[in-house]
Amino acid sequence: MRDLGPILRAMLRNKTGALLIAIQIAVTMTIIVNAVFIIQQRIELMARASGVDEANTFYLSSVGFADDFNAKTTVLEDLAALRSLPGVVDAIQTNAVPMSGSGWSMGLQTEPGEEFDGTGVAVYMIDDHGLNTLDLELVAGRNFTPQDILWREPAARNWPDIVIVTQAVAEALFPDTPVADVVGKTVYINDDESINIVGIVDKLQAPWVGWGAVERAMLSPERTLFNSAQYLIRTQPGQRDILMPQIEEMLASSNKGRIINNLNTIEDTRERSYRRHSAMITILITVMVTLTLVTAAGIVGLSSFTVNKRRKQIGTRRALGATRGDILRYFMLENLLISSVGITLGLILTIGLNMVLVNRFEMERLDWFYLPLGMAALWLLGQLAVLGPASRAAAIPPAVATRTV
Amino acid sequence: MISYYLKLGLLSLKRNPMLSALMILAIGLGVGACMTVITVNYLMSADPIPHKSEQLFYVQLDSWDPHATRDERNLPPDQLTWTDATNLMAAGKAKRQSAMASSGAVVEPQGAEAKPFNASIRLAYTDFFPMFDVPFLYGSPWSAEDDRNERQVVVLSKAMNDKIFGGINSVGESLRIAGTLFTVVGVLDSWQPVPRFYDLTTGAFNTTEDLFMPLSLKMPLELDSSGNVNCWKEPEQPGFKGFLLSECVNFQMWVELDNEQAKADYLAFLDNYANAQKELGRFPRPLNNRLSDVMTWLEIEEVVADDARIMLWLSFMFLAVCLLNTIALLLAKFSAKAPEIGLRRAIGASRRDIFVQHLLEAGSIGILGGVLGLGLALLGLQGIGALYGEFAENLTSLDVPLVLLALALALLASILAGLYPTWRACQVNPSQQLKSQ
Amino acid sequence: MLKMQRISKVFRTDLVATHALRDFSLEVAEGEFISVTGPSGSGKTTFLNIAGLLESFDQGQYFLDNEDISNLSDNARSRLRNEKIGFIFQSFNLIPDLNLFDNVDVPLRYRKLPSAERKRRIEKSLETVGLASRYKHLPSQLSGGQQQRVAIARALAGEPRFLLADEPTGNLDSAMAASVLELLKDINNAGTTIIMVTHDPVLAEQTDRQIYVRDGQISNIASTAQIATPRLASGA
Repeated sequence: MRDLGPILRAMLRNKTGALLIAIQIAVTMTIIVNAVFIIQQRIELMARASGVDEANTFYLSSVGFADDFNAKTTVLEDLAALRSLPGVVDAIQTNAVPMSGSGWSMGLQTEPGEEFDGTGVAVYMIDDHGLNTLDLELVAGRNFTPQDILWREPAARNWPDIVIVTQAVAEALFPDTPVADVVGKTVYINDDESINIVGIVDKLQAPWVGWGAVERAMLSPERTLFNSAQYLIRTQPGQRDILMPQIEEMLASSNKGRIINNLNTIEDTRERSYRRHSAMITILITVMVTLTLVTAAGIVGLSSFTVNKRRKQIGTRRALGATRGDILRYFMLENLLISSVGITLGLILTIGLNMVLVNRFEMERLDWFYLPLGMAALWLLGQLAVLGPASRAAAIPPAVATRTV
Repeated sequence: MISYYLKLGLLSLKRNPMLSALMILAIGLGVGACMTVITVNYLMSADPIPHKSEQLFYVQLDSWDPHATRDERNLPPDQLTWTDATNLMAAGKAKRQSAMASSGAVVEPQGAEAKPFNASIRLAYTDFFPMFDVPFLYGSPWSAEDDRNERQVVVLSKAMNDKIFGGINSVGESLRIAGTLFTVVGVLDSWQPVPRFYDLTTGAFNTTEDLFMPLSLKMPLELDSSGNVNCWKEPEQPGFKGFLLSECVNFQMWVELDNEQAKADYLAFLDNYANAQKELGRFPRPLNNRLSDVMTWLEIEEVVADDARIMLWLSFMFLAVCLLNTIALLLAKFSAKAPEIGLRRAIGASRRDIFVQHLLEAGSIGILGGVLGLGLALLGLQGIGALYGEFAENLTSLDVPLVLLALALALLASILAGLYPTWRACQVNPSQQLKSQ
Repeated sequence: MLKMQRISKVFRTDLVATHALRDFSLEVAEGEFISVTGPSGSGKTTFLNIAGLLESFDQGQYFLDNEDISNLSDNARSRLRNEKIGFIFQSFNLIPDLNLFDNVDVPLRYRKLPSAERKRRIEKSLETVGLASRYKHLPSQLSGGQQQRVAIARALAGEPRFLLADEPTGNLDSAMAASVLELLKDINNAGTTIIMVTHDPVLAEQTDRQIYVRDGQISNIASTAQIATPRLASGA
């Protein structure tokens, strides 16, 4: 650091150029640190498991239209056919699919009466095969039995007497009770209709990935008699893509009074539901990489220029006894100083932008450790960028000193 | 003289090709990134019906739960109940009005080859078409009488008409929809407002529906309820009718009102209506009825995605970095030219001459950067389209004003970047430069 | 203290090979003040560069203080330059962004001297050249003669064994040139060996010994009278 004083004084003589680079570094740091933070958050969001066997599950819709379409027999026949297919682990009819974006929600409350607020939960209507198809694990209580399953008419208002809820629902409704003890509790739906919690499952996401309480779901022992039904099918590993067209064809030809559509895998559904996040990640990474390159190129360009301009000066320094290492260090140190000014400014801007994002876009506060990481990254970027020009400076022969202009 | 300066500028650009390329690239990248994001934001927040967006109003009535607001901002629910939608339509107090809902049904085209398929449906009233300036290719909207008499009439989108009837004038043809025979009364021309403002509850950038038919058919045909159904209490009566008569909201309504007076009158009418409903035991909350014009409604529904706004911020910062880069490089470049400038000054160039010469050099970098930026913006928009898929389908096209904006942005950016270095170049003292030679 | 034996230096390009120095031999004793003259392109500057360890050579041997420097590394040569040699350049080669103090400080920095010692030497050498009071000025605020004095101060601050001066008065008017030469004489009298390259015969004749270089060789060790030809005299 022995060169610090003179470097600083020389820099102050050319402060505009140095300042421009410093501001550039500051803004670059601001963008990069905030972008990395956003990316990290999105990655965490996307890493949440839906709870189902995502790789081996798909679903489709069956929409009856014929005058003689019988929803009940269709569902029973379809389920029997699906469940007996080799390669199928299990299948259910359901009203909603995790991550698909559309589904039902209801409010559950621990005391009856419309003056009490309900806890919003997503509703999945499933039968006794539901837990197996959705790959859910019973944490406490019991599964539905075939006798529990009711048929739900279109526009029905009432609910079965029993329900299985996710652990998240149990915790939300009874925050002070151990999860296992929530089994057997009575909760109320539609303000005052009582239902009994018979089981608790580990994890099942609601259909809406953007919902804050995405892990709250209840399972209702019902099959629906709507014209439109969804089947969720879980296959043996590796069988999904083979079975999808087969099952589509099988269902379509078994009953001409309906159409089969909306055939999708859970994986595709996840991809579609999180597409804006993955798109944002890709865009931010592109921005970061481009920005890093622009800033690095700027530093390289400007340093090369300075080196060229100072050829004579560098030659003189060499003639006066500077080693190549001294010259290299001079430029590295100069860059370190400029970077440090930029990084200090960048710290303020980074926190400022984060505050704007927190206030205006309800984003989270930046974790503190992003700041030292960002500082280190920018210092490194500056040093790497200046390495080339600095090496070229170090290679300037001392004899340049005696050459006239 | 200008052409001489331009020639000098280009010569100077050629002298340091790497440096010039770097500056052009920096401007290009900055402008490209900005233009991509500006385009998306511009289209997201565009006025979808500019000539009458101030005369169209979205109707909100607060029919919600006495114990809880529908919305943190204490806004009324964003949709109406069937009861209120049909009551307001029956009152007919606005110049034009249409309640509406989204639905879907199976269409069974005729012919052995044709397979039945699911189609999306917009249920509405006849005023929907003139109110939103919906263009017709064939035929016309159904009539008010069709609305009243629950006639089975349908208007097809252009794509539907192409799919089912091969694009011919299908007015008068029959089509089986939801198990019932409908008569085609009209075929739309291509129509895609961006945002699709008339129903924001199902996605502001969705495509328009396949079929349009009278909302009055919903009850007799028991047509499906798509979109969002929200209830604060369970229907009191069973069945489909029970659902329609419940406090569940699933319907949107727009009215056309010509002036402030008409708007005030309509709002007064809504308040009277709500008070009358209170007499019947409904509307337990305090009066909170709203009329929002198109742009206000887009704002309330937060149509511009937060991510797009965040990117707007980031892209401007990105441009700032690129500009700083260019300023620094230009400064270095012009400072290296000090001897040349000194010489020019010594042989008679005025400060103004030097200023113009160097600003033109900066400007030519800007033009080149702008052209590059346009190309990059096109690329960026394609990238956005690919990344977001159908969601961004209608949000990634450049139009003439945007292209001009891009070029102006680049030129402005480069001139701004060139201003300070140019000013510095003009400060060169000719005698000193020549002495040190 | 300086001994060159049959030094050769060839500059090669694709087309031609130029013999800048040919079998160049010279010995300089401690405390001498010698001048090197010769026409442009004669090899003066190459000689100076080699003598000052700024350039390497192709053949021959060069001893500085009895140390063979032919095979020294770049770093070792830097150290030698820094410790034993002082340079004075025709165009002064002051660093424009540094004030006088920092300019004189440059070689001392590379010697890694403690700061108190550096300060003492800088002040002393600026004192010697009569510019102690202006240490905060920038080179651009000085006249040419003053700038060259700073350059001399810089060379002196390192307390070199010998001083290489390349046309030290080339950019100065005659009055300033005379005063710079006086300064150099004083320095020489204090014990520093000086080699001065110049094309000015008036200056050259004031030195202890004159060397005339032509075509990369010492043409003869001429007396003052012999080289004071009218052609050269007009050059000043």
